[in-house]
Amino acid sequence: MRILNRKLLRDLWRLKWQMSAIAMLIACGVSVAVMAFSTQKALVTEQSRYYEETRFADIFASATRAPLSIAADLARIDGVVLVDPRAMESGLMDAPGLLRPATARLISLPDDEQRALNRIVVVAGRLPDPNRSDEAVALKTFLDAAHISLGERLSVVINARQLTFTIVGAALSPEYVYVPSSSPMPDDSHQAVLWAPRGAVEQPTGLGGAFSSVSLKLAGGASEAAALAAVDRILAPYGGTPAYGRADQVSNKFQQDRIQRLGVMAEVVPPVFLIVAASLVNLVLGRLVQTEREQIGLLKAFGYGDMEAASIYAKMAGLVGVAGVIAGGALGGRLGAGVTGELAPYMRYPHLNAQFSWSAFEVAASLSIAAALTGSLLAVRRAARLSPAVAMQPVAPMSFREGLAERFAFWRLLDQPTRVIVRNLERFPGRAALTVAGLSVSLALLVGSQFLFGSVDAVVNQAYYQMRRWTDEIAFSDNRDLHAAAEVAHLPAVLSVELLRTAPGKMWANAREERMSVVGLDREAQLAHPLNAQGRPIAFEGRGVVLSPALAAHLGVGPGGTVGIEITEGRRPHAVLPVTAIANEYQGFTAYMARDALNRLMGEGDLASGADLLLKTDERNDFYRSITQVPQIVSAASRDDTVAAFRSAVAAVLVVEMAFFLGFACAIAFGVAYNVSRIALADRARDLATLRVLGFAPAECAYILSGELLLLALVAIPLGILGGLGMGKGMAAAFARQDFYLPFVISPKGWGIAVTAYLSAVLLASALVTQAIWKLDLVAVLKARE
Amino acid sequence: MDEPTFQVRGLTKIYGTGAGEVHALRGVDLDVRRAETLVLLGPSGSGKSTLLNILGGLDRATGGRVTFHGRDLTRASDAELTRYRRQSVGFIFQFFNLMPSLTARENVELITEIADTPIDPAEALAMVGLSDRMDHFPSELSGGQQQRVAVARAIAKRPELLLCDEPTGSLDSASGVQVIEAIAKVGGEIGATTLIVTHNAVVADIADRVVHFSNGAVVDIKDNPAKRSAHELTW
Repeated sequence: MRILNRKLLRDLWRLKWQMSAIAMLIACGVSVAVMAFSTQKALVTEQSRYYEETRFADIFASATRAPLSIAADLARIDGVVLVDPRAMESGLMDAPGLLRPATARLISLPDDEQRALNRIVVVAGRLPDPNRSDEAVALKTFLDAAHISLGERLSVVINARQLTFTIVGAALSPEYVYVPSSSPMPDDSHQAVLWAPRGAVEQPTGLGGAFSSVSLKLAGGASEAAALAAVDRILAPYGGTPAYGRADQVSNKFQQDRIQRLGVMAEVVPPVFLIVAASLVNLVLGRLVQTEREQIGLLKAFGYGDMEAASIYAKMAGLVGVAGVIAGGALGGRLGAGVTGELAPYMRYPHLNAQFSWSAFEVAASLSIAAALTGSLLAVRRAARLSPAVAMQPVAPMSFREGLAERFAFWRLLDQPTRVIVRNLERFPGRAALTVAGLSVSLALLVGSQFLFGSVDAVVNQAYYQMRRWTDEIAFSDNRDLHAAAEVAHLPAVLSVELLRTAPGKMWANAREERMSVVGLDREAQLAHPLNAQGRPIAFEGRGVVLSPALAAHLGVGPGGTVGIEITEGRRPHAVLPVTAIANEYQGFTAYMARDALNRLMGEGDLASGADLLLKTDERNDFYRSITQVPQIVSAASRDDTVAAFRSAVAAVLVVEMAFFLGFACAIAFGVAYNVSRIALADRARDLATLRVLGFAPAECAYILSGELLLLALVAIPLGILGGLGMGKGMAAAFARQDFYLPFVISPKGWGIAVTAYLSAVLLASALVTQAIWKLDLVAVLKARE
Repeated sequence: MDEPTFQVRGLTKIYGTGAGEVHALRGVDLDVRRAETLVLLGPSGSGKSTLLNILGGLDRATGGRVTFHGRDLTRASDAELTRYRRQSVGFIFQFFNLMPSLTARENVELITEIADTPIDPAEALAMVGLSDRMDHFPSELSGGQQQRVAVARAIAKRPELLLCDEPTGSLDSASGVQVIEAIAKVGGEIGATTLIVTHNAVVADIADRVVHFSNGAVVDIKDNPAKRSAHELTW
């Protein structure tokens, strides 16, 4: 057997480029799985360590003003092991260097560090002196983004009082890995979190002896649902808003989305690579058995068994699989470390160390080697079944007969080289089909991944330019009456003001319930209005609600149906409302209704919680300067900043993902095209050399060799596009979350990138093989028997 | 006397280097006249095929000079050699070298499509007696028929030269005679200069001159006053 192994190694060396192309595909598949799961492992490990170390809470709730004594009631809830009540209030903050004021959350530091939850990690400077009321630590991500140094003094306006703090430390918090804002992406420079001693927070916020925010830790195995209900019940008299668990905590949810999205790539990509690699193993080994039939026959004539002679080909496939697995594991480990490093600035954990997911590697390795062996089965079977006598006879001349193409009139128009191409396709339909399948998979992967850019554009356009037409949006600290509109209208740069009322609530239908927010808009509102599928504003009818598609789908209701609603603030009114339409938007569990109808439901008069504004662009800065003097305004969002932040954050993530997909898809196209070209060259070297002898120029011979591949590559384009549309829709569905749809839109640029990358990979592979025509040994081939 | 078609002077060809050097041609001198039939005889490795390959523009000499109508082939570029083969040379190979995916007629059309003044493919196949097999694929033809298709293919461009490398080497004697007959007949009809490399001394009977090779050199050139018709040959 040692001699057979030597033959195996020499055959492998002779076919090294073809086998390398197959190993490369396997390596790609393994590396994606290892990269994604290693990165996931690193993130999950660090997240749990961070949560554990900082005692990240299990339940979060807020109230307007609850006495501290209530905390004891909360502690008695079944399963609750720790309660951490805090004073917390928001306001606007002028930060040096920022045009638009930041929203600042001022939070009291715990009196008893031992019982504190969501403990902050001070990474620079120190904690404030407990006896001073003018020192605070600030969230590091805000300090970094707003370029604020330790020692600087910052002023926050809370409840019409200006409070000034010296920033003595920079901290990270498990609760604010990502700080929620009106933007779906982090807007770090405008989202400040300050922690100060309780005394410094209590006084200006009027929360002496009281709390407005509370976190709870549950014992393992305790019922979260029961605890949430109990917290709601206890806090209801104190203006409590519905408590929520970790799964709904915005910062945690943001991270979980990131972590889960890594899995999407790992689930979609590797199987594609393995299927293509197995197909290529089948093609290459099939050809090899055909050309080595005399050798196989000779081995059997010498007394080697069927399986001994045939197993060479299975071993060859196995070795290619092993090579791919080793390369893929190494590459995946490096990529995983790289991606972990790339994600570190976004995940904001104190430490984030790269990990290697051995379990993902083991599964990917087993599947890859199994795929390679499966690909070799047909070739092994053929080698095993070859009888020594048949194998020792020369191969009969390749037989051709008239095919389908000859029956069409166009056949007469074809020159002879083109007829050679068409007849070869007809002669080897299986090979042609596998080639088309492999190439169309690569194009599908390209098309399917290019949609992300187009889709993000569509989401931004719909959300910030169609449905919302405001340039800025402000929120009031309390619900204000109509005078607020008049006051805001008098601020500098304001061209137009439209009040809105938003309120948190729960909505239910068909025995399903969901937390959501109600947005009350003026019936004639121009600056924000839900739109129908045609892009026209949907008119509000009476007390009817217009639901976001995610909410409607989740509750299983449509126009004409009804929903139950409980507003979870104020008097907490209940109602049953008719659903009049479904809005065309991509994000959020939102119900829109007329503001007057919402206010009647609330029973608190004609109030607003904020306003949508149209500002004169060149005077925006005057507006921003003026609002810090208006105490009732607690936050201000700018559409341009939001869109810019959204685009840069999305681009940072998507560009990396797209680069991967682009690379992988090109690898498939190259791998398939290269192997198919090599097989074609091996099949036709003699014919091509003959043509060269007969006076055909190298380029004319190249046409015969590469024409077949290029024709198949063109046939694969419509199939690849169809597959890509399917794959893209599948990926859009995989990227979607419960409350977020991703539309499937491919921009002309996306189509251009996909098709250009695909054709470049095919042409490169074809050119690498075709250049052999220029080096054909014309003399040798004339003496060679077919 | 006419200027020779080929003038070969001091032609050498060395394969390999150092200790592995093989001297395939050791200073060959030869003139080939227009429209004559020359048979090159000699044992294996004597250099006759090497000379044919160099004359056909397939291989390059190590030293010496070959002129074709005064044009130096030894200095021609690859593109010039391709053009030379395309316009002036018809090749017939030992193993036929037909395109398996093209019918007999299409194999001939392969050449007529790129030739300047070709013979109609059907006429070329009729000249070699294959009018009734024109639409058959190579796998449907006997060895002799395949070689006659190759002859039709070679002469269809009306080449000035017909270079045949062991044209009967893979055939039984009856088929071999038919092929030699076809070469002699159509070569004569188009007025081609014909060079036939063979081990088969009988074939030399159809030659105007016979060139004997040994150890990379021409050892003898004989006129053949008793030239026979191809159909009289047997072996």
